[in-house]
Amino acid sequence: MNMKAIMTVFKKELIDLLRDKKTVIVSIVIPLIIFPIMFGLMGRSVEGNIKKTSENLKISIKSKNENQLIAFLKSQKNITVVDSIDIKKDVQDGKIYLGLIIPDNIEESIKNEKSADIKIIYDDTSQNSNMACNIIKSLIEEYSKEVVKTRLISKGIDYSILTPINIKEEVAAKEKGGFGKYMMSLLLPLILIIYGMTGPMAAATDLGAGEKERGTLEPLLTTQAGRMSLLFGKLLSITVMGLIGTISSIIGLMIGVKAGASAFGGDIPLIFSPITVIMIGIFVLLIIMVFGALELSISIYARSFKEAQTYLSPLTIIGMAGAYGTYMIDAKNASTVLFNVPLANVSLVIKEFIIGIYNPLHIGITFGWNIVYIVLAVLFARYMFSKEEVIFRV
Amino acid sequence: MIQVKGLSKYFKNVKAVDNINFTVSEGEIVGLLGENGAGKTTTLRMIATMLKPTSGTALINGYDLLKEPHKVRSSIGILFGGEAGLYDRLTARENIKYFADLNNMGEKESRENIDRLIKMLDMEEYADRRVGKFSRGMKQKVAIARSIVHNPKVMLFDEPTLGLDVTSSKIVQDFILSCKNENKAIIFSSHSMQEVEKLCDRIVIIHKGKIIEDMKVSDFKAKYGQDLEKIFVELVGDK
Ligand SMILES: Nc1ncnc2c1ncn2[C@@H]1O[C@H](COP(=O)(O)OP(=O)(O)O)[C@@H](O)[C@H]1O
Ligand SMILES: [Mg+2]
Repeated sequence: MNMKAIMTVFKKELIDLLRDKKTVIVSIVIPLIIFPIMFGLMGRSVEGNIKKTSENLKISIKSKNENQLIAFLKSQKNITVVDSIDIKKDVQDGKIYLGLIIPDNIEESIKNEKSADIKIIYDDTSQNSNMACNIIKSLIEEYSKEVVKTRLISKGIDYSILTPINIKEEVAAKEKGGFGKYMMSLLLPLILIIYGMTGPMAAATDLGAGEKERGTLEPLLTTQAGRMSLLFGKLLSITVMGLIGTISSIIGLMIGVKAGASAFGGDIPLIFSPITVIMIGIFVLLIIMVFGALELSISIYARSFKEAQTYLSPLTIIGMAGAYGTYMIDAKNASTVLFNVPLANVSLVIKEFIIGIYNPLHIGITFGWNIVYIVLAVLFARYMFSKEEVIFRV
Repeated sequence: MIQVKGLSKYFKNVKAVDNINFTVSEGEIVGLLGENGAGKTTTLRMIATMLKPTSGTALINGYDLLKEPHKVRSSIGILFGGEAGLYDRLTARENIKYFADLNNMGEKESRENIDRLIKMLDMEEYADRRVGKFSRGMKQKVAIARSIVHNPKVMLFDEPTLGLDVTSSKIVQDFILSCKNENKAIIFSSHSMQEVEKLCDRIVIIHKGKIIEDMKVSDFKAKYGQDLEKIFVELVGDK
């Protein structure tokens, strides 16, 4: 094995891969744009709906006579009162978001300090109708508080008698953006592990089976670069391609989250601390190296491109299982035993990083195991590259 | 100089190559003639250190292929038939340069050699274009340049004209003759007596892994008469 040969192979493979439009699209462009598109659409539609509904609440009111409550509602800028003959039907058809049925004697009841019943007709299967219902309810609440206030004042009682307890909300997470981080801790490990696995795949297929199919493998094997130099040069280029793919998917995710922030409650931490990014990067790199070596081993065993793709697909499913298996585990109290499970450990450690936990034991166990996996995977690749039965399989 | 000594290769219970011996001198073209499955490719792969012999060995340019495979590889150039085996997304020059680099050549030497080969093979016009859209003949020239860029003393050709049209075949045959002029030791494998007769100094007939005849083309004609193709069919037919 010599360094010069490894670098020669590495440089050539990288140039070759980057000139391949298909590889570039699959491993760089798609990861970069898929999240912005996905979240952008998701965010826009949710945001759009909220705006549309809350800015223009189309409601209908059924009441024999005008009264102060109706005047109050009509005075709200975002409420449009429309006429309706059949309220129920119009709500169902979405012509109006809701209908209010106000009793005729409401003014009287209020004056006599009695309570009055108001009926709201809405469609609880419609997001818009639900939202309108909430807004109207709080408006009516506001109105009735005003009524109470007037009543109390007229009796010479302090208004605060009605609110013996004031609630002030405070989120107990260490940092802000808790919900966003939680969402990220669900999504990001999943995405990164899937990319770590699938990222090197196109390159591995091309560099193993592709070399056989093109008939370039035999001349290559008769050069002075030994098989191990070829192997390590290829592994290095696959790793770098996988890394580029992963970085572009992270960038894509960041852009995507920004574009669709409202879909996540608007408080996603857009930028992690450099330490977090580096730590996450290191563990994704480990995954890429394990899978890159495995994929190259399988690919060199295959006789053709097609065969390699067939052999590689089960690997994706295994990887998915590992990633999805930890999807719902809460990183805050993950059992240490779980950090001995391949893939699950990386997924959990990344989750911890995202919510700001740096547990040396977990990091150590996970790192240690993954180094073991890499050594095993590379030994396997070495074995495959040295076997005549593999290289010259008929 | 190639000395093959008792070389054998078994694949499980198939004796692909069975205890063969022959020598190739410098400036000599030896035709390794045999039907499909006779063991030609396996023999050449062993000489090129791609396959480990089950038993026996060979000296290539004085190096034992078991003891010094690395030195052996520095002494050989191969051109195998079928697909030219190039990287479509690299230019002709980059394809050749890759193999020069892998064979440990210095920058200056490799640049000079590549320029010389590009000129010699008339490839100036397309040397810096990607080979993906090249015609078969253009690709063949690139493969030829690649096989010889590191100045090997020994050349191995495994059915190099397989599937080529007349023009491309001619290019390859001229190249083999030019290697002879440069005093290289050459093995040329083929299943066509006609081609071997035209190019080679000596004929080694291999059949089911064994050598059944090894003599100069002129001696061959003296022994068997002029219709060599017929003789070949008879020789491999009965056994
Ligand atoms: N990698 C291999 N594994 C198993 N058998 C093989 C392998 N390569 C060649 N053989 C067998 O060895 C014999 C010689 O094959 P080969 O050297 O390719 O013949 P030729 O090149 O003369 O057509 C054939 O029977 C072939 O099936
Ligand atoms: Mg053959």
